[in-house]
Amino acid sequence: MFSSDEINPQQIVIAANLCKTFENGVRALDNFSAHVERGEVVVVVGPSGAGKSTFLRCLNGLEDIDSGEIIIDDIVLNDIPANRLAIRKEVGMVFQHFNLFPHMTVLRNVSLAQQKVKKNSRGEAEQTSLDMLAKVGIADKAGSYPNQLSGGQQQRVAIARALAMNPRVMLFDEATSALDPEMIGEVLAVMKDLASDGMTMICVSHEMGFAKEVSDRIIFMEDGKLIEECSTLQFFSQPAQERTRAFLEQII
Amino acid sequence: MQNQAKLPRQNISSNTGNRRWSTLLRSPFFDIIQFIFLLTLSAWFLSKTLRESGYHWQWYQIPQYLFLFDDSGFHAGPLLLGLLITVKISAVSLVLASAIGMATAMMQLSNSFVARTTAKIYVETIRNTPLLIQLFFIYFVLGPVLGLSRFPSAVLALSLFEGAYASEIIRSGIVSIHRGQWEASYSLGMSNIDTYLTVILPQAIRRILPPLTSQAISLIKDSALVSTIAIYDLTMQAQAIIAETYLTFEIWFTVALMYLAVTLTLSLIVRQMEHRFRMN
Repeated sequence: MFSSDEINPQQIVIAANLCKTFENGVRALDNFSAHVERGEVVVVVGPSGAGKSTFLRCLNGLEDIDSGEIIIDDIVLNDIPANRLAIRKEVGMVFQHFNLFPHMTVLRNVSLAQQKVKKNSRGEAEQTSLDMLAKVGIADKAGSYPNQLSGGQQQRVAIARALAMNPRVMLFDEATSALDPEMIGEVLAVMKDLASDGMTMICVSHEMGFAKEVSDRIIFMEDGKLIEECSTLQFFSQPAQERTRAFLEQII
Repeated sequence: MQNQAKLPRQNISSNTGNRRWSTLLRSPFFDIIQFIFLLTLSAWFLSKTLRESGYHWQWYQIPQYLFLFDDSGFHAGPLLLGLLITVKISAVSLVLASAIGMATAMMQLSNSFVARTTAKIYVETIRNTPLLIQLFFIYFVLGPVLGLSRFPSAVLALSLFEGAYASEIIRSGIVSIHRGQWEASYSLGMSNIDTYLTVILPQAIRRILPPLTSQAISLIKDSALVSTIAIYDLTMQAQAIIAETYLTFEIWFTVALMYLAVTLTLSLIVRQMEHRFRMN
């Protein structure tokens, strides 16, 4: 679909004409296309059921697309297991419900995949893990188990776990939606830090304040379709689509 | 829930007579009375039965079938030798049944249609036919073809039988783990095998262990069926002694206690294991 001269070397994530229908007949992605450049922070917004999460989950192969094409850092996501693995190594993901491994300490949560996937030694993995935990501000909880932490702390561990794999792209799937209000701030602060470090980020989020402050671009989708894609400034000041204006009026 | 639970209690306490009753009913003193009542009832029933059956009890005969002490030292009697065989068959079958159960569970959860169907057919066939017939089939039909003697036939039959149940237990334990655990692991680039070994199974084992213990206890008791192909396990030894001595009830009660000792030991070991898993 893409000949090599069409690929913009700045584009690290290319999703073209994605279609995905679930077994229950719900059409989650309907000819949806998007691209993200290196170092860009893109926030995906839209009403619930718009296919935002499905889009993220397709990017690292947690869901299979029915048709379309996904290219991340020049790797094509297809049925070849090696490609899928290569993309998962490039892409870190943070989930709404953290999905920490409850039977492991925080340190083990963060270091496990470094040992199993990157084949780093235990010492090396644990050193990286401690660095990452320090980066998200909870190095002192390394020996705790996930259920001993608050939601905000658990989500920061989850971010450290993804970062420890040294990904090129980070996906945030409603990372603050399951948190108590007073804990949202600490997680958003970590995400802001990450953005200012130049990490490429795609965030599904309902935090319009965060979107306004941190993101470069907004993708607005509904019913699996792209409704509007524009700079953050334009999105909040003068959206082109009537549907976008209606959405913004509802949430702000 | 707490509020709902409190309401009726408050109603009772408004009535002083009822409150006195409920205090009495909940006191340890009342528990002791209940126990004494049950024990007395059982003892009365037992003694009545024994008296009316006119059975001549000869418990003093039993120890010689358990063990002998003479000048040359300790000798295990037929019952202890039988127990050893029972434990041996059960232990080997337990290991094999776990392996079969795990493999079958994996097959049932795999993406391969052939693996899923094969596993399903195996589980349904084994679970829906009697163990006795499976044992005869393996010993008398497959045995001569595969060159299996008694002991391997018995172990194979028991393992296949209990493995089918174990696979269902293991499978349900695995699917009970939230799919977010798989997704988190996959999103980190972990392989299927690493995900199973490090993320899913360690969590599933805590849920699997209690029902798997019940299955292991069933296995030990089911192993009595191997006496039908003339393996001298505990049950077979008991039958042999009874045939000679007519000490029917004494021997069977003793044998039951010996099975109980083995299964209780197993339960204790597993409880220790569960405790360790919780610690970790």
